[in-house]
Amino acid sequence: MKHVFFLDGQEIPFIPGQNVLEAAIAAGKDQQIPYFCFHPALGSLGACRQCAVKIYAHDSKHPPRITMACLLPASDALQLATLEDDVHTEHREIIELLMTNHPLDCPVCDEGGQCHLQDMTVQTGHSVRHYSGPKRTYRNQDLGPLVYQEMNRCITCYRCVRFYQDAAQGEDFGVFGSRNRVSFGRLEDGPLESPFSGNLVEVCPTGVFTDKVFRHDYVRVWDLQQGPSVCPHCAVGCNTTPGARLGTLRRIRNRIRPEINGHFLCDRGRYAFPYVTANSRPLQPRLMGETTRQDAVLRQLASRLEEGRSGFLGSPREDLQSNLGLFALADCLHAPFAAVTSSWAEALAQQCLALPQAPSLQEVAAADRIVVIGDLDSIAPMAGFAVRQALRQGAALTVLASSRTELAQKGDYRPLRPSALRDQVAQLADDPCLQGGRFPVLLATAETLGPSGLYALRKTLEKLPANARAGAFVNRPNLFGAAYFAADGHTERLQQALRQRKINHLLCLGADPLGEDWGAGTWRTLAPGLDGLTLLDMVDSETARSAETLIPVAAFPERAGLFVNYEGRIQAFSPVYRREAQVLHSAVHGSGFPEAAGGVKHPLGPPPPLFWLGRLAEMLHLHEAWQKRLDFYLHFLCPERPDPEGPGVLLPDTIRARFEIAAVPAARAVTPEQWELDIFRWYGGETLADMADELHSLAPARGLRVHPNVQAAAATLHGPCGELRLPVIACAEMVQGVIAIDQEGFAELGLYPGDPVEVSWEQRQ
Amino acid sequence: MSSPTSTVDLKDASLLARLQDLVAASPVPEAAISEVLQVLQKARGYIDEEALRLAASLTGLSPVKVEELCTFYSLVLREPVGTHVLRICDSIACHMAGAQDILTQARQHSGVDLGEVSRSGKLTVIPHVCIGLCDRAPALMVDDQALGPVDTQTLTRLLAQLEADIWKPS
Ligand code: SF4
Ligand code: SF4
Ligand code: FES
Ligand code: FES
Repeated sequence: MKHVFFLDGQEIPFIPGQNVLEAAIAAGKDQQIPYFCFHPALGSLGACRQCAVKIYAHDSKHPPRITMACLLPASDALQLATLEDDVHTEHREIIELLMTNHPLDCPVCDEGGQCHLQDMTVQTGHSVRHYSGPKRTYRNQDLGPLVYQEMNRCITCYRCVRFYQDAAQGEDFGVFGSRNRVSFGRLEDGPLESPFSGNLVEVCPTGVFTDKVFRHDYVRVWDLQQGPSVCPHCAVGCNTTPGARLGTLRRIRNRIRPEINGHFLCDRGRYAFPYVTANSRPLQPRLMGETTRQDAVLRQLASRLEEGRSGFLGSPREDLQSNLGLFALADCLHAPFAAVTSSWAEALAQQCLALPQAPSLQEVAAADRIVVIGDLDSIAPMAGFAVRQALRQGAALTVLASSRTELAQKGDYRPLRPSALRDQVAQLADDPCLQGGRFPVLLATAETLGPSGLYALRKTLEKLPANARAGAFVNRPNLFGAAYFAADGHTERLQQALRQRKINHLLCLGADPLGEDWGAGTWRTLAPGLDGLTLLDMVDSETARSAETLIPVAAFPERAGLFVNYEGRIQAFSPVYRREAQVLHSAVHGSGFPEAAGGVKHPLGPPPPLFWLGRLAEMLHLHEAWQKRLDFYLHFLCPERPDPEGPGVLLPDTIRARFEIAAVPAARAVTPEQWELDIFRWYGGETLADMADELHSLAPARGLRVHPNVQAAAATLHGPCGELRLPVIACAEMVQGVIAIDQEGFAELGLYPGDPVEVSWEQRQ
Repeated sequence: MSSPTSTVDLKDASLLARLQDLVAASPVPEAAISEVLQVLQKARGYIDEEALRLAASLTGLSPVKVEELCTFYSLVLREPVGTHVLRICDSIACHMAGAQDILTQARQHSGVDLGEVSRSGKLTVIPHVCIGLCDRAPALMVDDQALGPVDTQTLTRLLAQLEADIWKPS
């Protein structure tokens, strides 16, 4: 049955449970009802008194009266009016009250042009302030490098504190004072601690909270080029709206995607983008350290490939088409290809893919029994956000981890070493923590659990009720896409070919095999057998610095592409702007680009990987075959091409089933006396994000995190590929017998999470 | 509920025991926060950072939540005060009955800004929300004692008594 009420005589459809304002906004009628404190994701509060409508009762007893639309449940045949003088007066006078203390600073306010308060003020026709007394003024707080505060602009809608305390469940932000002296902020100056703090910028309808990073290179929003994109910083794939101007990226905003991120983003998603403008970003092709021309580098590379002694390495950090393009080229040349840098990572990817359809974050928020394995917030913060939404609805949360993470503090925490954690996951089916619920969900950080742990998770899931779901998360945007070609033993075959000197050249795409990628220790020992390494990438890295040939590629907002998220959801992103790069004028010739008008400023930045790969195929006279293969793979994985504005398309289950039979390497045995490694990450850390100065300035110190009963100042860890000496950081929240290190540390040692490790402690002086 | 600023040690065993009893007697620990703050303010004269954090850890609230409460209730003091605290209502009924004049007179007498400790150390004047004495507007509170209506003469007398330490609550 269709439900409608009437607003100024017009039918407004509604879904039972909606309030009048919500339904009116959904119907595009918010021009008639101004509002502030209501927010689609935060609900109604009734605090601002702005959303007045007049309600006509159907009886003779009740005269028409003014009421708040956001507090009025929509019901059938309700008769409401706004086009009446008393309603207009109410709107105008309320906004005048809210504006009493508001500074007249729109021209210098970053919110100007995208300000809800500006819009509503104009819409309601308030233009003259009757109040002429002194205005209330505040001392602003320094809230760290991401969010800028200008408290005088506040209209006390309470959206910020409802977001920060209720939705994001952060503890370091609140509302202080009473009466007309209310302020919103921290107990004292200092960086906001929540991984979701940047959303304050979007939920605040005025210019109190604005984007401090955008501020460094600010333009008015009407001058921004914007478009639909997908966050490249983890496997969740939140939908974003990058904004650029004059060929440089200025900011990232949320793009509403109910199934995934809703109205919000994590701070990594919002503030990692300056990797695109980092000084260290490669923009010119480099041959033996010298900047060179596109055609020269292509010629050199083509002749290298013609020798037939090249291997190919893709990456879960790169998008689907680029990986497929590389795979197709390897295929045409009958050359070995791997999508990930180690056999462990390959097995991990296969086990992630073998999991049955994962729940969307929207579904996670509706779960009532949740088990989180590992530090979810630090890998995929928005997945942690979805868990918080479920908690608000009364879900029971159990966290299995080697340290008391923020999420663990909100639920039942089971401190476990990684090895014990794997065993526990295998037992979960009968565990009381999953009993009695309607909709149980298990969310794992893939790396902490490892391939064998993920296998155990899948087996546990089989024993749970049919509607139970599980998801595994990594901090890469496309592990699930890249890994389709991680057929058993690919990585091992590639490394074997190098060992046996069948290949002496490696063509890598978006990978860092000599730096921080899994298994880098092994690659470093193999590197002397290489007579050349070519890297296509958009960031500086250890591998980029040692590559003979470095080919810059377009950053994600600068190109089109596809990412496959943790659910197997294939999402498309579009080019939002074109990077401008200074290039040698002559380098343009023969590149296939039209020549830039007017000199050295080339309108095009680095082209996307597919351009380079296509050109190579052409020069090798393989273009037709290459294109055919590429199209075939693409069609196989996604017969239906997703629309960047849509919810994406899910990989068919039949494709996942292929991975169920993949071999699972056994985890290395650990005795209770041995020290065990776990991975330490933080919510703002990830390869691209580490290039973003402001965000990265919040990164925790590097070190070996251990329980405080360890009395050492530093220690050296010994692994098969190398040693790692770092200071010891005592962490009250860590489980005893565990050492948590970052991914670089693992790469250095040649070890994996859950592995036992030899340690030499250095006592304090 | 104010008292002269004192320096009762927060580690004082009997104080701690009293606070813990309050928390234990409360249906949920958080609900004990107002009483915990009252006791702490009595003991310390005002709620300093240390007391704020102690109140937070005893009740399981975050320090931000405790500060929200402290700043909401104007009876909670977050700064040191003089021997006596004069809370002058400036809400609507008292405002209409001339609270501004009372406030100005008291402030001038104290010789310092509102909320600050007078040079003699005897007095702090604070504007206050409605104290429920609207029928006796303009009203004020001297420490724990409510007074009203107050005019400039009664105020002058009161201020002199406070300075001379001869004021007695009735
Ligand atoms: S700071 Fe912004 S979001 Fe918070 S209450 Fe004020 S206007 Fe609303
Ligand atoms: S959760 Fe992941 S995909 Fe979403 S905004 Fe954060 S880093 Fe990006
Ligand atoms: S939006 Fe309805 S009262 Fe604020
Ligand atoms: S307004 Fe002053 S006591 Fe109520």
